[in-house]
Amino acid sequence: MKLQTASSVISLAKELENKAAKFYEDLAEKYAEGKDTFLSFARENKKYVVQIERAYYGVITDAIEGCFAFDLESDDYAVETTLAGGASYADALKLAGSLEETVVKFYTEAAEQSKSLMADVPRAFMLIVRKRNDRLAKLRPL
Amino acid sequence: MAVLEEPIKGVPLVKNYINGEWVESKGEIKDVVNPAKYETIGKVPISTREEIDTAVKAAQEAFPDWRRTTPVARARCLFRLKELMEEHFEDISRIQTQEHGKTIDESRGETRRGIENVEVSCGAPTMMLGYNLEDIASGIDEYLIRQPLGVFGIIGPFNFPWMIPLWSAPYAVATGNCVVVKPSSEVPFSHLKAAELVEEAGFPPGVWNVVNGGRTVVNGMLEHPDIKGIAFVGSTPTARDVIYKRCGETGKRVIGQGGATNFMVIMPDANIRATVASMMTSFFGNAGQRCLSGQTLIVVGDDDEFYKTLRDALIDSTSKIVIGYGLDESVQMGPLRDKPKKDRVLSYIESGIEEGAKVILDGRKNFKIFGDYPDTCFLGPTIFEDVRRDMKIVREEIFGPTMGIMRVRTLDEAIEICNESPFANGDAIFTSSGKSAREFQYQVVSGNVGINIGIVAPMAFFPFSGMKDSFFGILHTQGQEAVRFFTESKVVIQRWF
Repeated sequence: MKLQTASSVISLAKELENKAAKFYEDLAEKYAEGKDTFLSFARENKKYVVQIERAYYGVITDAIEGCFAFDLESDDYAVETTLAGGASYADALKLAGSLEETVVKFYTEAAEQSKSLMADVPRAFMLIVRKRNDRLAKLRPL
Repeated sequence: MAVLEEPIKGVPLVKNYINGEWVESKGEIKDVVNPAKYETIGKVPISTREEIDTAVKAAQEAFPDWRRTTPVARARCLFRLKELMEEHFEDISRIQTQEHGKTIDESRGETRRGIENVEVSCGAPTMMLGYNLEDIASGIDEYLIRQPLGVFGIIGPFNFPWMIPLWSAPYAVATGNCVVVKPSSEVPFSHLKAAELVEEAGFPPGVWNVVNGGRTVVNGMLEHPDIKGIAFVGSTPTARDVIYKRCGETGKRVIGQGGATNFMVIMPDANIRATVASMMTSFFGNAGQRCLSGQTLIVVGDDDEFYKTLRDALIDSTSKIVIGYGLDESVQMGPLRDKPKKDRVLSYIESGIEEGAKVILDGRKNFKIFGDYPDTCFLGPTIFEDVRRDMKIVREEIFGPTMGIMRVRTLDEAIEICNESPFANGDAIFTSSGKSAREFQYQVVSGNVGINIGIVAPMAFFPFSGMKDSFFGILHTQGQEAVRFFTESKVVIQRWF
């Protein structure tokens, strides 16, 4: 589905963060070796939802191109968060890595297109990109 | 995308808020209609002359105490109001979409703009400061103080039901006045929500009153001797021939904001991609129902290649606009507010064709409604080409999703066309040349001027300006000018023996 309005993009961002939070909470339950890391990821995901909402609600005004700011396709950012039964720890990390890469791609492309939403929205998106790249770096050695 | 939940449920009857009480009106009752679904979502009273008189009396009685309340304490009420508005931000926004039809992004933008005025009015203790000079003569000092006047009437339009009453009301009460607000009877729920938050914020009874209705309420305000001034936003004929004229006759202060026919001037060095995105929101945002919407696009120069590229990009982007119910997050343009408004726009489209403009995108036919909604109030965006300056679609305010394109050879000619309009609200230039921009800003007669900005909406700390038939009065809404409008300047000269 096409995402052209700021509202639809913010909703997708929240959906991705909420899905990721649930995913990491599930991993924390299943894999004791990564429990602390996964729980900290889930906490961060919830914080990102607040940050994104704050940025959007703070700058959305009738003078900017809120309804015409984006040209994204939601299918490009579909994420898989269901682990197959009996999946190994390595499988779980691989799925986490794939999720993070998709999320980074989404925020990078959304930030690029949302320059007309003043500085706050793309800045919030790029801050999350930086944090998610750090997260990918943490996942790799695990 | 799912349709967001509607906040107005059942078919509630709107009450008046007078002297801190919710009062049922004895007036005639009208339906409030959601234009996207074309269904009745509420009932609104057309209040009587006695009811407006009661509200003015309550405001007048509240005035002495409120005036003596310190500016800091008054500001604290406004701080609480601001916090409550933030808390209810999403609810407020969805109410606007449900009763008006605009998209949820547009409603949230409107909510933010309204709250910004409450924020700025919290600075009243500073903004009300006077000034002084000692020794204006030997041993004599002189100073100026600003004092509130009493009761003000605030009359809102249908197109921004939340924001526009907040261009004035917070400044009026912050400076020690009391207000009676009359929201548009087509969209009463947004300001009803504001009144609920005013009550919760703890304003004393009578300081902020709301009386719903129509002409009787307006006449009651205009004729009431205790109303010291009126802040009105609406059509030019009403602003000029009713509000401005009668305030003059009765000695009231007046802010009368009227209509517009705004021009977007595109220079051949403009960034086409960014300009087209701005044009979408300028011409088609709020379905064209705003006094800052672009109505005529003037393309400057002989460069046919530039013109063709711009024209094709405009048609391409416009034809892709998603039209539907604004509570669906995918939707980029909602319906017109009601059927008569749609019919009015249709009659302008027909007049454009009759006068020789060429329709290159026909909003009457080529549009789809996203979702299962009746087409009663929906209209697609229309683009005209070969528009001339003498056409009605250039000279008169359409207030709908239309764009007329004309070509001129020079910037001077473009400015001349802007300046021959009787309106002067929000013209803009799109260019990468500082020289052209500076020349436009200098020469154009327009209250608000955009440079690569398609909707020239001033922030709350600047006045919402306007000239010629777009504005009647001297001081404007918002910011420091609003503080001056709502206060009297008193000069004291003192000497002690």
